[in-house]
Amino acid sequence: MINWKKSIAAFSAAMLAVTAMTASVSALEAYDPYSYDRWKDAVPSQVGYVAAYNVDGRQMGCEKLVEPTDMFLAADNLMYITDKAGEVEINGVKEKFPSRLIITDLDFKVQRIMTEFNYNGQTLTLKNPSGVFVSEYDNTIYIADTENSRVIHCDQDGNVFSLYEKPNSELYPADLTYNPSKVVADKAGNVYVVVKSVNKGAVMFNKAGEFLGFYGANRVEATAEVLSRYFWNLISTDEQKANTIKTTPIGFSNFDIDEDGFIYTVTESTDTDTDIVKKLNPRGYNIFNNANVNNVKFGDYPPAYYSIYTKETSLVDIDIGENGELNCLDFNQGRIFQYDKECNLMFIFGSTGEQLGSFKSPVAIESYEDKIYVLDSRKSNVTVFTRTDFGDIVTTATNYYNKGMYEEALEPWKEVLKYDGNYRRAYIGIGNALYNSGDYEGAMKYYKTAIARDRYDRAYEGYRGDYLRENFDTIMTVIIIVVILLLILSDRKKKGKLDFKRMFENMKREEVRLK
Amino acid sequence: MMDLTKGQWVKHVVTHPFEGFEDLRWKKGGSMKISWFIVFLLFFSVLAYNRMYGFQYYSSYDKIFNLVPYIFQSIIIFLTWVVANWSMCTLFDGEGTMKNIFINTAYALVPYIVGSLLCTFLSHSLIQDEYIFIQTISIITECWTVILLISGQKAVHQFTFGKTLALIALTIVAMVAILFLLVLVLTLFQQIAIFIMSIYTELSYRIRV
Repeated sequence: MINWKKSIAAFSAAMLAVTAMTASVSALEAYDPYSYDRWKDAVPSQVGYVAAYNVDGRQMGCEKLVEPTDMFLAADNLMYITDKAGEVEINGVKEKFPSRLIITDLDFKVQRIMTEFNYNGQTLTLKNPSGVFVSEYDNTIYIADTENSRVIHCDQDGNVFSLYEKPNSELYPADLTYNPSKVVADKAGNVYVVVKSVNKGAVMFNKAGEFLGFYGANRVEATAEVLSRYFWNLISTDEQKANTIKTTPIGFSNFDIDEDGFIYTVTESTDTDTDIVKKLNPRGYNIFNNANVNNVKFGDYPPAYYSIYTKETSLVDIDIGENGELNCLDFNQGRIFQYDKECNLMFIFGSTGEQLGSFKSPVAIESYEDKIYVLDSRKSNVTVFTRTDFGDIVTTATNYYNKGMYEEALEPWKEVLKYDGNYRRAYIGIGNALYNSGDYEGAMKYYKTAIARDRYDRAYEGYRGDYLRENFDTIMTVIIIVVILLLILSDRKKKGKLDFKRMFENMKREEVRLK
Repeated sequence: MMDLTKGQWVKHVVTHPFEGFEDLRWKKGGSMKISWFIVFLLFFSVLAYNRMYGFQYYSSYDKIFNLVPYIFQSIIIFLTWVVANWSMCTLFDGEGTMKNIFINTAYALVPYIVGSLLCTFLSHSLIQDEYIFIQTISIITECWTVILLISGQKAVHQFTFGKTLALIALTIVAMVAILFLLVLVLTLFQQIAIFIMSIYTELSYRIRV
């Protein structure tokens, strides 16, 4: 009872401390930092990243960004930004800008601006491009030239190698538009193009520009509507079937490729939870389609806490960080969800609004070391986030943890708990370290706090084994005494009085009989 | 023959599923006190099962603790069963009185209560791989309770086996109806309470002005 009261007192003290801490942090940020607990409820947390500053076109040195659409950080640490054509007012003078590809360094100082491309002596211009990619293998540029219906593949000087245009194939319906919005290329030079009107996956070309097919389609979520449609299709005639709505998956909206050649896709839809984030191998198989990650809901759990609006998450861009973190950008709430490579939520930050660190129309995200860059197309600027001390410690601990170095992760995880007592993964991390060192009882305590049932079960198994081994003498003695007492009692019942001599005779007879 | 105390009758009935209730009926060995105690134990076992189960098997949502669902799952369901069974047996010419139905049902629940308490206890010393032991115990005790329930019904109403099964099925239907009406009545009273409250608020504002 006393123990119970104590723990309540401790809990309320901890809650007070947490509230005090977050109050001091949220004074700096345009939003309340939060995280999700074991029950998928939002709980106050610490910020992992803070908005340091933002850069607009004037500060970059290209007068003005009209409506930037995509941003890509290349292996040579240059930032490639695509910008739409348009007319903007600068100091009261209207000025016209063509569609541009702006190349800056990491401090966002413009290095080059590309508007014209040379294709076999012919000059090509861009028309509202919305995607750019630079291959890390040969440093060539791929531009999704959306309204010209082509993908341009060129070198750094603007000499075009080839154009990837609308496939002339039976697989690609002739009446379907082809407006490439995003593009990536793999090591072999295969090009993957996201086309908004195609929901079968990315349109895939080989290096020579031949159409290879579609890559990595999403699955259809088995909703009640889909199931009932499937059922009716079983019994309806061909004519009826032709008139029913087809069940089609939702096409993904953006992707990124990591060093090992895995392609990560995000799907913008708010109607489905299936395949929101995928990790595709070169054959188009989703590696995240496993028991662990299928349970992860990317983005906010509905209802979205910590905001007045309950808009659902709509992920528009994904970026793979240096340790394999997944940085997912939510368009609706202007939030960035950072997951580690095992898809465990690390941080949530960002919001919508006018202040630094909040967005109107975030479209692209990139990261470099401990910085995260977010491009806003309506604010026409780039916001730079830097990792906080708390973020550093969590990242260190997570990296050790994901490599299986639980002992090394112990100290960082303890440090994490000093900052944020709600950080569930820290309890699991400490539990794992204790479990590996054989301290099962300590591990049980931490697993219980983290509500990690299966891990607790394993720790308990170890604890029970140790306990039985250590107390074998006592337990056996107790059992023997109880057995003797029971024998005496049953004997007394039969005879009415205690008779040891007869009892031993009985026991002997029993032994003989057993032999 | 059969001069047992009230406590011993419980043991006799539970360990003799087929003639126990008949003996209980003719010897009038049932006790309301013990029955109420068993119903309380049922409540406690439901509570223990939901809140004190071993952590390696089940973790309850600790942010909210509400007794009402557990009271409903045990005491309310039990009383509804008794009332529904009594109302149905009058239509079927059953011989049971409300008191006898109450006693028989309560006694029949003893294995279930013991089983679920035992499982709750065992869940603290076993690991997930050994769940089969808990499962076995709970299946055996649940079957035992069902057998006792049927034989208790058969004895208290002096029915044939088939008629007993029909009665039990109809009892469940009646329970659903009763619970539905209960919810309806509760909502109605809630509406009336809200109505009176709003009149009071209205008047108190008027008087102040």
